[in-house]
Amino acid sequence: MSKTTMESDKLEMKSEEKTLIEPIEKPETGLKTVMRLENLTKKFGSFVAVDKINIEVHEGETIGLVGPNGAGKTTTIKMIAKLIRPTSGEILVLNKAGELQSLNGNDKDLVKFGFLIDQPFFYDMSANQILRYFARSQNYPKEKINARIDELLTLFKLIDWKHEKVRTFSKGMRQKMGIIQSILVDPQIIILDEPQTGLDPKARIEVRATLRELQRQGKTIFVASHMLHEISELCDKIALINNGRIIAFDTIENLEKNLKDKELNCQLLYPITPNNLEGTINRLNEKLVPYVNHDMEESTADHDHGVKYNLEKQSFKIYYDGKKESRGEILEIFMSELKSNNKIISFSQPKTSKLEQIYLEMIQMDEPREGGG
Amino acid sequence: MQILEKKEKFDYLYLAVLPVVTTYIFELKKQWKKFVIFSLIAVSFIILLSYLPYALIPDNPLPDTQADYFQSGLNFLIMIVIFGSCFFFSGIICYEYDKKTGYITFPIINKYKLVTGKFLGALTLLIGVIAAFYIALGVLGIYWYGGPINYRYYYSFGIAILYVLAVGSFVTVFSSFMQNVNMTIVSTIMILLIANMIIDSLVMLLYPEFEPIYSLNHASDLISYILVEDFPTKLEDRYEEVEFRNFTRRRWLTPTIVGGITVFLLYTTICLVVAAIIFKRRQL
Repeated sequence: MSKTTMESDKLEMKSEEKTLIEPIEKPETGLKTVMRLENLTKKFGSFVAVDKINIEVHEGETIGLVGPNGAGKTTTIKMIAKLIRPTSGEILVLNKAGELQSLNGNDKDLVKFGFLIDQPFFYDMSANQILRYFARSQNYPKEKINARIDELLTLFKLIDWKHEKVRTFSKGMRQKMGIIQSILVDPQIIILDEPQTGLDPKARIEVRATLRELQRQGKTIFVASHMLHEISELCDKIALINNGRIIAFDTIENLEKNLKDKELNCQLLYPITPNNLEGTINRLNEKLVPYVNHDMEESTADHDHGVKYNLEKQSFKIYYDGKKESRGEILEIFMSELKSNNKIISFSQPKTSKLEQIYLEMIQMDEPREGGG
Repeated sequence: MQILEKKEKFDYLYLAVLPVVTTYIFELKKQWKKFVIFSLIAVSFIILLSYLPYALIPDNPLPDTQADYFQSGLNFLIMIVIFGSCFFFSGIICYEYDKKTGYITFPIINKYKLVTGKFLGALTLLIGVIAAFYIALGVLGIYWYGGPINYRYYYSFGIAILYVLAVGSFVTVFSSFMQNVNMTIVSTIMILLIANMIIDSLVMLLYPEFEPIYSLNHASDLISYILVEDFPTKLEDRYEEVEFRNFTRRRWLTPTIVGGITVFLLYTTICLVVAAIIFKRRQL
């Protein structure tokens, strides 16, 4: 029996603090691939919503698909859910025989999936009736259904609403119902699209706690969100998607490594006048050539010269090689360049969330486009 | 070994049928209120049109026979079937797309099983509604004329079930491509009540001798006409010549039994195949 399916009845989250800050001790992730997207493409007319996406998900991993609204996250997930057909490319998913199988094959051979897509909608029935229907239709053991429903409704604090019609639920409660139905039958792979949409801060913490518990059980989780900070701490890997393309797919550490230590902010006391701006930037760029981050130069035209000035914030952003000794040299260059008519009030690495910053940087690097998916 | 193979086959079948059965039961629960409302309307129709006029108006004579009484009462059934079909079947496919509920059951239930369960549930409920109609009319038939019930009344019920199947399938086709339930209800009611009547009238004018064998309206005449003891076997007995402003046209009384049943089955088959094709191609 797979390690991911054994512990369905252990989803006990009675103590909040137990799960909110504990480090995740999940089973070791193997290298067994449970899902692979190969050159997955979806076009709506001439608009390319998803453009040749390649992602490989291993057993027990938690993958975050992160991108701004309209980046192609939901379209990707809908293709995995077979709600829309890919224009080209393929989705391979683990089957019961332990092999990867095309999603176009026989559904009944596939391992169990749980889905939460967009804002979930439910039939005009009570929570209990709806969940019973989902569980029975997916062949969940009859004798365990009641206990499982009670367990999940209690976990998400909906137990008092068990026999109330879902149409009387708030948006956040419906979102919780969506998450409950996605994990109800103890699926091996859980795919969640914006699971924290519409939830209040407390409920978001509960959702994160639930995801942590599922991670502990060794579930494979694929979660899409535009709120990077909400899921970054949960994910083993992050796939940054923008304009339908994966612009980065790696562990958080590696993503951070690429950018976090290669950026400096230099805050000035007075703004640089427009007349002096071009000359100042040119002089700085000339002097900073030995220290600039050449990786960034290759990846984006915005950062050709390693220095960028923000008029509103009165600050320079410097993309450099990340070496400690360079930092001092750069500071000296700035001080000598600006000493006559300005003052440096802060010289530091970015204070905002590292990953959030990476996300924003990468999104900015990518060309803007219209439409969404 | 054989026992194991049999068990495997049974498990396979069980897993294949389970989503259909659970969806069917869920659909019954989901539309239960609609069933009660339509049943009450059907019974009220019977009381209003087949009981009160004879009970309250002394000079209003009852039809000669129990069969004639049933025949007059069954005229209202068509309306109930049309409205009932539109309300019970309209959401079968388009509701899932409008509300984007399809993801819920993937991949254990495929969408065809989901829709099959819903279709069978809606069909059962509507058959229940017309059964209530037939029972109420039957009880009144015994009340006015004494028992037993004319055996042809049961034939009529069987044909009415086929009619429900055909109209339900017709509505399902619309549900497969319409955007939402309300649009499906309005458009199918318009077509079944008005458009079909206009088409039949036009055909009658253009081809006065042509029997409208394509028409669901014409086929539905069989539901009440089957009660006629000497059901017409010859073509000339199945229509009446009607004079209207120097124009003679045929008013068709009933199709043949085989003809009527064939029309219902053809409608059902064609509509369900078309709905399945559209459904297969439809994406969220």
